[in-house]
Amino acid sequence: MIHCDGLCLQLTHRPVLADVTWHIEAGSVWGIIGPPASGKSVLAKTLCGLFTPRQGRLIVDGVDLPGLPEPDRVRVRRKMGMLFQNNALFDFLRVLENVAFPLARQNPKMPQDELVARAQERLRAVGLSGSEEKWPSELSGGMKKRVGIARATICNAPVLIYDEPTAGLDPVTTSKIYDLLTGLRQKHASTVIAISSDIPALRHFVDHILFLHQGRIRYCGPESGLEACEDPVVYQFVRGQTEGPL
Amino acid sequence: MAGNFFAAVGASVLNLCAEVGGILTLLFRVLICLLPPRFDLDETWRNLHKMGVRSVPIIVLTAFFTGGIMVIQAAVFVKKFGATSLVGWGAGYAVFREIGPMLLGLMFSGRVGSNNTAELGTMVVTEQIDGLRALSIDPVRYLIVPRVLSMIVMLFLLTILGDVVAIVGAALFGTVLADVSLASFWVSFSQNVHVADVTHGLIKAAVFGFIVALTSCHFGITVKGGAVGVGRAVNNAVVAAALGIVLSDYLLTYALP
Amino acid sequence: MISNFFASVGAFVLGMVEAFFQALSIAGRTFRGVFHPKERARGEVLHQMYQIGNRSLLFVTVTLGALGMVLVFQVCLQINKITGDQSQVGPEFIRGMVHAFVPILTAMMLATRVGAGIAAEIGSMTVTEQVDALRMTGVDPVDYLIVPRFLASMIMTLVLGIYATVIVVLAGALMAHTAFDVNYNVFFVFEKITWGDLGVGLTKLVVHGGAIPIVSGYCGLSTTGGSEGVGTATTRAVINSSLTVIILDFVISAIGLMTVQSGT
Repeated sequence: MIHCDGLCLQLTHRPVLADVTWHIEAGSVWGIIGPPASGKSVLAKTLCGLFTPRQGRLIVDGVDLPGLPEPDRVRVRRKMGMLFQNNALFDFLRVLENVAFPLARQNPKMPQDELVARAQERLRAVGLSGSEEKWPSELSGGMKKRVGIARATICNAPVLIYDEPTAGLDPVTTSKIYDLLTGLRQKHASTVIAISSDIPALRHFVDHILFLHQGRIRYCGPESGLEACEDPVVYQFVRGQTEGPL
Repeated sequence: MAGNFFAAVGASVLNLCAEVGGILTLLFRVLICLLPPRFDLDETWRNLHKMGVRSVPIIVLTAFFTGGIMVIQAAVFVKKFGATSLVGWGAGYAVFREIGPMLLGLMFSGRVGSNNTAELGTMVVTEQIDGLRALSIDPVRYLIVPRVLSMIVMLFLLTILGDVVAIVGAALFGTVLADVSLASFWVSFSQNVHVADVTHGLIKAAVFGFIVALTSCHFGITVKGGAVGVGRAVNNAVVAAALGIVLSDYLLTYALP
Repeated sequence: MISNFFASVGAFVLGMVEAFFQALSIAGRTFRGVFHPKERARGEVLHQMYQIGNRSLLFVTVTLGALGMVLVFQVCLQINKITGDQSQVGPEFIRGMVHAFVPILTAMMLATRVGAGIAAEIGSMTVTEQVDALRMTGVDPVDYLIVPRFLASMIMTLVLGIYATVIVVLAGALMAHTAFDVNYNVFFVFEKITWGDLGVGLTKLVVHGGAIPIVSGYCGLSTTGGSEGVGTATTRAVINSSLTVIILDFVISAIGLMTVQSGT
């Protein structure tokens, strides 16, 4: 589905990604973990073509994404839904309009009733019926995340990227969100990439793990193999030890 | 609808009063710290340096083009009468008394004042001000007074620099665009522009510096509502400073010789 | 110390050059967006016009009114010293306002008011990833966010500039009458204004009005680094759009002097 080959990226003269080679099969569920500022979010945005890598190849569903000019990248992005780290809810639109926005952009001729019905169905799925007419600023952190998830999934895109779906949420809400994500994934059999710092909860959800440190891959493989990884950075980070290279 | 309108007007009037009151309270607290002068000298020196270095390029650019704009206006006016001998006087008079201090003050407010608001605002939202209080350091004495003093001094000095650059710009553009030779520009300038015109402008500059300082500090330390609040405070601060500059210019024009 | 100073000047110049070219590219994309509208945004333009007008009407009235009085005061004072002939004050003042002072002063005020607002708005959308979310759905942020503000600001700067001229002239007349006994009949003489003056003044207003949202929108879109970033973007927007206005004003004045205003 997605193939990265030797991706390198620089932002304001600072290398952020270095030689990232990663292959994502259709239908697999990946988790990206790593210390703060290790390039996790940048990698996720690069996969959608929001950043253009300096070197390397990135093939998404058979298309060379960085080679496309910005207006044409939308063809690839339509196959992806993304939940942003800060939710990125449009504060000039109400909740329902926020959820319907990607669908309306993708199908400009879709009648209004159908748009509303689809958005309402999506809000029901994330447990937010009744909040349609609220503004994003009136929602709590967990509710914003759920609106973000509803917006990311409304187009039934084959690839879903969740950047920190549970950051700043309490354990109960975290479990609810992961149940929601698991349900969505089973229903649509989509490829999922999730970034999180909450490793125990994330590991229940994914079957593959990518470990990033300073823009480099330190581990890339099945979730079950993480414990056995010999890399000192991964070893220390996964166990939460204070002694080590970090 | 009508009730709504009156409510909105009332709310904005109340809001305006609250801001003006806040600025006056701050003024009072700053004055108390200056009588007798007790404030942080190192912080003052740091601010002077930072504000000066930051503003020199922008002030030079602004002044240079302001001189150019003024000489063109003078030229449009005198061409009709063929009185090129008036160009130096017209440009010098306008730049020194009015346009120079005003535009430089507005640019200073945009560069230094808004930066100051953002800086203080960030210190408020990240609870650094509370941290200072917890160490029983008076934030007015430690943060505000040095900034106020630095801005007054710096805008005064920068206006001197700006005046010189603006006159050089006016003379150059006068030769290039309006066929006024450097010599006749200089004669007209030196004979008709008096020291009083320069001091008139410089006193204004010092007052503008004071106004920029007070408004930017007030909006900085009263930031509410995190990141978005800082942006809004910067916006309010530059608008309040612009209003203050124009209104005080109006009053000073009468009060000064 | 000295090398530090030169380093900072050098960094400033380099930063300006880089920002200049990026803002130029945004300007190009904005023009393309105006002539090839992809977004149905007429309602958005009206909304932005209302925002700009609502934000600035009182501000422009107060500042330009005070400036009108000050400028007349300074001019009359000087004339009293030299000739004492106040009959030319009104006509020349009105003319100077139309082609020179009102455009630059209105635009400076709007750069402060409107420019800061646009940068804060778009900047906070950038740091909360709303701009990325727009791009994900195939919306060009320039088309969607800057083009409506560009059109609205051009129209509203023109409208507010004409309004400001009225305010300035009225305030000036009031001052001339009360402080220097200039008769209203002598003051309100509009024959001195040539078509060239009018053209220069209106061109300035439209160009300044278009430049402010492009420069501030660029500052907003290039925001980095969270909450402090928005503050920095607002600061940069005020200073860069003010400076742009001053330089553009100079360029248009020079062109006007050499062409349409040369004969007068």
